[in-house]
Amino acid sequence: MRRLTLLLLFYLGLHADDGYTLGEGMQVGPLPLYVGSYFSIEYSKGQELQHFSVDDIALLSYGSYNRFSYLLELEFTEFYVKSNDQNITKTTQDHTLHLERVYVDYNLNENYSLRLGKYNSPIGFWNLLPINVLRETTSNPVSTEILFPRFTTGIDASYSSFDTSLFKVDLLLQHNDGLDESYNNYNVDQHYALGLGYEQENLSLKINGGYFHLDDTSTLAERYYLLISGKYEEEKYQFMAELGSQRSQKSFTTKYAGYLQGLYRLSPKHIAIARVESYNNEVSDKTNNLLVMGYTYRPLYPIALKAEYQLHSQSRDNQFLCSFSMLF
Amino acid sequence: MKTSLRLILLLLLITKLSAAPLIVIAHKDMPRLSSAQIKAIFLKKRLFLDGVALVPLNLGVKDPLRHTFDTQLLHMGFSRLKSYWSRQHYLGHRPPLSMHSQESIIAFVQKVEGAIGYIDEAHLTSDLHVIYRWEGP
Repeated sequence: MRRLTLLLLFYLGLHADDGYTLGEGMQVGPLPLYVGSYFSIEYSKGQELQHFSVDDIALLSYGSYNRFSYLLELEFTEFYVKSNDQNITKTTQDHTLHLERVYVDYNLNENYSLRLGKYNSPIGFWNLLPINVLRETTSNPVSTEILFPRFTTGIDASYSSFDTSLFKVDLLLQHNDGLDESYNNYNVDQHYALGLGYEQENLSLKINGGYFHLDDTSTLAERYYLLISGKYEEEKYQFMAELGSQRSQKSFTTKYAGYLQGLYRLSPKHIAIARVESYNNEVSDKTNNLLVMGYTYRPLYPIALKAEYQLHSQSRDNQFLCSFSMLF
Repeated sequence: MKTSLRLILLLLLITKLSAAPLIVIAHKDMPRLSSAQIKAIFLKKRLFLDGVALVPLNLGVKDPLRHTFDTQLLHMGFSRLKSYWSRQHYLGHRPPLSMHSQESIIAFVQKVEGAIGYIDEAHLTSDLHVIYRWEGP
């Protein structure tokens, strides 16, 4: 399968249209077919654990025809991992090609559209752009990984209204097992959610709430969540914040989890980042506050070299992370 | 102090005079639009208008009129737009078509339903359908 993917990439490269721009994919001949790719290499060093990985080697394909559009994303995750935990070194390689996203969109008219397939749950801002090269830190905020299923396999019915501002409603429905669910942060067989979004000039606001059912029989199988998100962006700086909570029928599973991140563009190529995070996860019985300080160098936007240091309230969790990532 | 003030006023006047008007033109059936609506179309957030698929047209990245359009109507500089379109690539969306000249934009807009582009005042003729006029900052 790996050889087939590499052959496909080679073939597409030979038949790609001229005028390629790094980070924007390429068209295959005159077809409504664009291809792209991305990968990341990450390294982290904590007090006891060192971790090196070649991660997220992905192939992306999409296109549109009339009112239809589609997207397919295949990915090798944790392609090569070497870790050292208390002087015990372990190397693993996973060459399984995962189905990260696959969906078809249909635009009924300028206001209504339908999506069918497996897609990034349109919850908050971070979850829509989760890959290394598009975010500004190597790490993800914990809140983006514990509150809701990162992927949904089902329908997304959306309504958008445009005037001086953009107003959007998303209705997510999943009542089946997910596609390639081993890849999701939660293995769910039901997910119903509603999202409201508002954008005016540089300000974007969102509120998402939902219910999901874990594909197991535990007493905590039913979960409800709520997430409030805000983003403000100017040419030089950006602020982004998300805050949410999750509970089962009986009690809170995550009382709160959130972050506030600010970034400042020192120049188009140099970006400084600071993020504060806090969460209380009842399932893992962990409460943590952390400060992330990072720096990103982008010689070209689709190429990112990042370094960050995390200061945790439990100092044994402090760690340094760095990464190199590219989008083709 | 008075000299500094005069200098600042003079600079502002020069800036105002050097900002050429920018005309947004479209296929003949398209209604007049606000700057916010034009921004939504050029960022591909709005794909249809009255049932017609929209086709926004850009000039080349190095064209000064493109720079004026990006900074004054979209309120986004080059690096922010680059970041925006890289993110849209991941989400399966393409940037607007890039045309070589204002003449190409005019020809395209006159022939294709849903097409929308921008030109400067010097290229404006009476047979073009103007949907928005930006006079300067």
